[in-house]
Amino acid sequence: MPSQLVHALSSSVGSKILIALTGLGLAVFLVTHLAGNILFLFGPETFNTYSHTLLSNPLVYVAEAGLLVIFLLHVVKTLVLFFGAQQARPQGYHARRWAKTKSPRSRKSVASTTMIVTGLFTLLFLVTHLGTFKFGTYYESATGMRDLYRLQLEIFSHPGYVAFYMIAMALIFLHLWHGLTSAAQSLGVDHPQWTPRILAAGRVLAVVLAGGFFLLPLYTFLLARAS
Amino acid sequence: MAMTLTLRVWRQAGPDQPGRLVDYVAHDVHPDMSFLEMLDVVNDDLIRKGDDPIAFDSDCREGICGSCGLVINGVAHGPDPGATTCQVHMRRFAAGDTIVIEPFRARAFPVLKDLVIDRSALDRIIAAGGYVSVNAGGAPDANCLPIPKHVSDQAMDSAQCIGCGACVASCKNAAAHLFTSAKVTHLALLPQGQPERARRVVRMVEQMDEEGFGACSNEGECEAVCPKEISISNIARMNREYLKATLAGE
Amino acid sequence: MRLESRIPGGPIADKWDKRKFENKLVNPANRRKFTVLVVGSGLAGASAAASLGELGYTVKVFGIHDSPRRAHSIAAQGGINAAKNYRNDGDSVYRLFYDTVKGGDYRAREANVYRLAQMSVNIIDQCVAQGVPFAREYGGLLDNRSFGGAQVSRTFYARGQTGQQLLLGAYQSMMRQVGAGTVQLLPRREMLDLAIVDGQARGLVCRNLATGEIEAHDGHAVLLCTGGYGTAFYLSTNAVNSNVTAAWRAHKRGAFFANPCYTQIHPTCIPVSGDHQSKLTLMSESLRNDGRVWVPRNPGDQRPPDQIPEADRDYYLERRYPSFGNLVPRDVASRAAKAVCDEGRGVGDTGLSVFLDFTDAIRRHGEDVIRSRYGNLFDMYTRITDENPYKIPMRIYPAVHYTMGGLWVDYNLMSTIPGLFVLGEANFSDHGANRLGASALMQGLADGYFIAPYTVANYLGGTPLPAVSTSHDAFQEARAAAQGRIDQVLAVKGSRTIRDFHRAIGALCWDYVGMARTAEGLDQAIAKIAELREAFWQDVRVPGETNNLNPALDYAGRVADYMEFAELLALDARHRNESCGGHFREEFQTPDGEALRNDEDFSYVAAWEFQGVGAAPALHKEALAFEEVHPSQRSYK
Repeated sequence: MPSQLVHALSSSVGSKILIALTGLGLAVFLVTHLAGNILFLFGPETFNTYSHTLLSNPLVYVAEAGLLVIFLLHVVKTLVLFFGAQQARPQGYHARRWAKTKSPRSRKSVASTTMIVTGLFTLLFLVTHLGTFKFGTYYESATGMRDLYRLQLEIFSHPGYVAFYMIAMALIFLHLWHGLTSAAQSLGVDHPQWTPRILAAGRVLAVVLAGGFFLLPLYTFLLARAS
Repeated sequence: MAMTLTLRVWRQAGPDQPGRLVDYVAHDVHPDMSFLEMLDVVNDDLIRKGDDPIAFDSDCREGICGSCGLVINGVAHGPDPGATTCQVHMRRFAAGDTIVIEPFRARAFPVLKDLVIDRSALDRIIAAGGYVSVNAGGAPDANCLPIPKHVSDQAMDSAQCIGCGACVASCKNAAAHLFTSAKVTHLALLPQGQPERARRVVRMVEQMDEEGFGACSNEGECEAVCPKEISISNIARMNREYLKATLAGE
Repeated sequence: MRLESRIPGGPIADKWDKRKFENKLVNPANRRKFTVLVVGSGLAGASAAASLGELGYTVKVFGIHDSPRRAHSIAAQGGINAAKNYRNDGDSVYRLFYDTVKGGDYRAREANVYRLAQMSVNIIDQCVAQGVPFAREYGGLLDNRSFGGAQVSRTFYARGQTGQQLLLGAYQSMMRQVGAGTVQLLPRREMLDLAIVDGQARGLVCRNLATGEIEAHDGHAVLLCTGGYGTAFYLSTNAVNSNVTAAWRAHKRGAFFANPCYTQIHPTCIPVSGDHQSKLTLMSESLRNDGRVWVPRNPGDQRPPDQIPEADRDYYLERRYPSFGNLVPRDVASRAAKAVCDEGRGVGDTGLSVFLDFTDAIRRHGEDVIRSRYGNLFDMYTRITDENPYKIPMRIYPAVHYTMGGLWVDYNLMSTIPGLFVLGEANFSDHGANRLGASALMQGLADGYFIAPYTVANYLGGTPLPAVSTSHDAFQEARAAAQGRIDQVLAVKGSRTIRDFHRAIGALCWDYVGMARTAEGLDQAIAKIAELREAFWQDVRVPGETNNLNPALDYAGRVADYMEFAELLALDARHRNESCGGHFREEFQTPDGEALRNDEDFSYVAAWEFQGVGAAPALHKEALAFEEVHPSQRSYK
């Protein structure tokens, strides 16, 4: 990257553009991740074949590295801006009320005010998630593939794990709820007719993604109980 | 009809001195008074008692000069949407209310005294590029460039900004994006603003950052307190203009 | 001292060209060596600073606000006139000139007015090029409206915020020069005195309102662009910090003050609601394009307006002035409102207001059309009065709005002190005894963009200006005088507040030197003003100290100056034994109550020379010659 571009992307506006792009990148990853995980519904054969095919492709390391870079950029940029914001108002207000109470023009919400919290929790979740699955127990299936189906079934038979995942998904839902629509604004996507639709689409996507990942552990738990 | 109210006001003797909230009782507050007229009356009482009156900025008292700006009960410019502090009337409050009055807060807006702040950072953002470079005397005929009415109207929507700084005051990041983007948008929409379009947005954003304002969280609290109800669509446009300018290598 | 108006010879249309050619020029390489001090950053100040900066001069801009964009030009609503004739309706430079001279009731200098009309055309070009978003038609070209009774559509506007947009245009151009390093901003500075060296204005002394420090600045010329003195009346549509201080202190140093009695009372303001009121709010007189002004036919009629039948209403403007109706000039409309209220036919709690009724317009065009035209004004009215003008008629009353008088200037806008130029509302030059609607913005910008850059250059290029610094005695003396006055007012430590005194002087001005004046009343006023001034210096209480931010102290200084200025205002009104424009003397009226001029004896500019506080000022007369427009009785019947 030319240094000029780096410079431009480190301004307040440029940083937000970068955060929006990386955020959207992560959302795209979530879409593929969810699409893959849905195969769990079709039984061990399908699920394990899918994950084996995916993981045995050497390109997966490139993709994972890319994902890591995107994720780190997203986190680091956000933290820089967060601490910058603290400096931008060293002395706060004694009385503080949302301006939304005065005019509905504000889009402020629980989701928008807790982005840093939900984001940091997601980071924590991710570490646990990778620990339990990616770097978790290696079961081998009858066909010689890694039996992730069994692992998932085992982990989500513990109600504690299920509860943790469900809480995590609720918080990630909040993060996506503001994040997806906010990304559009940061990238300058704005149109009198299209903006409301973009906002709506962002929110639908937030519901689908978080909802999907919310239901899967629950489904697995019930499945484990039933068997 | 006259009401008695308690005011909890930020008092600070000077820029480098510590400040605190001090309680005052406001007697004989009439519902038809404007908020600042109420403060005038309180100040005259303080003067008669030999106390130091509360310093605050105000000038036109009709919502256009942008001088006044208080955070009233935690909301910049008080409870009325689309209004400045001077346009808030005491009929919006009830007898016995306690009203907390604080200055606009941001590192870029240092307090000079009590409720008076220094907003010259906003002037410096304009000086960085918020203009069309045209010298007096060199202008072509005003009607030589037709501008579609809706474009001109939209430019006017943005150009209405009064530079009060309420957007900064109400933003959780103390960002000046609404202020800056309103000027970027006004000039980006008009044909006169085209030659400097890319340069303008880059320079204004750089200056904004240099002044110590925060970044935008896209919450729109700024729009909710803006006396002219300038839309955060302007910020989206500024982001787009910036992105384009960056990709074009400005 | 003889007043030298320096009007160029030749036909009126060629005078300005001739002057421009006669003017000395300053070599571009030498310009930065000249420092021009601009006081005030409204339309006149900002446009002058921008233009002089563009030319390469070193410019310092002083203003009392935290930002130059706050200057009160920002509040002008209606529009700006220009003789563009885009409407093909018979307008021309000559017609704008003619209308302005006539509207000013033949008390303006013809040559200045003609130049103003010529410049009007360039102003619109300049502002559009800056990106001022004037209203446009669907075809993309600029829209115009008829304003203030003009019979051609020559007013350009930007919603109800024309002043704001023009000021921001000038401000942005000035900020561009700040970025380029030619203009230096000095916000929160109040000019307190002028430094005169060898008879030339060579600098000023000001107070840094943020720190309380007294500062001296030297330069080669000083431009006063400090607006009018409407707040002498306490309640006016001016901003609460508007003041006469800079102009008055210059007057005390030798600049003549001309025609202070010409004050404009604007007919469409929101009426006073109580003692607490700090200012009055004007609503654009464009409202009179669709609103009908009326009062009940019978005094004491207390019925709500919608229950007063047509037969019991008096649409007094339409009745008295059938051809202009509700669109008669401001002074005429204002006096007519006062007359009906004096008859006991005023409405509202105080009886000091008249109805401005949109019922017919809403019926004719629909509420949406009216909303699109005046929505922001209606909202503003509702916010202040808590009444809905779509349903019940607005109530309006006249208020002081603009002051035509000001420091005397010659054709080059230079005062009687060489090197002291006066621009915009602060000077007296272009509007005569009454200003037409949408002409104030035009004058401020004409002075700043297109006149001062030539005439100031001529002064700088053609005048020997020896090197001077702020260590010169004149600066030391001015600094001491400024500090002395501050110490004096702080030392009184009396019992009455500054606002109390301001209210008192304002009431005297409004009651005796307001819409209708009499010799007897003015004599009383002159005596009472002197007494009040005495009381002020005995009993005012100014809190705080001199060495920090102290708005009460700033205010005290301004009110102290009004205590002196108000006397000149009354004296001028007393001496002018005629009625003209904004100056109405009850003794001088036609049988049907119109202003009766006395061209024989009063066709002159009254320029007053300061002789000491409380001492009678010396009157100097500049005779007015009307070679183009022959004075006649204004008639709007």
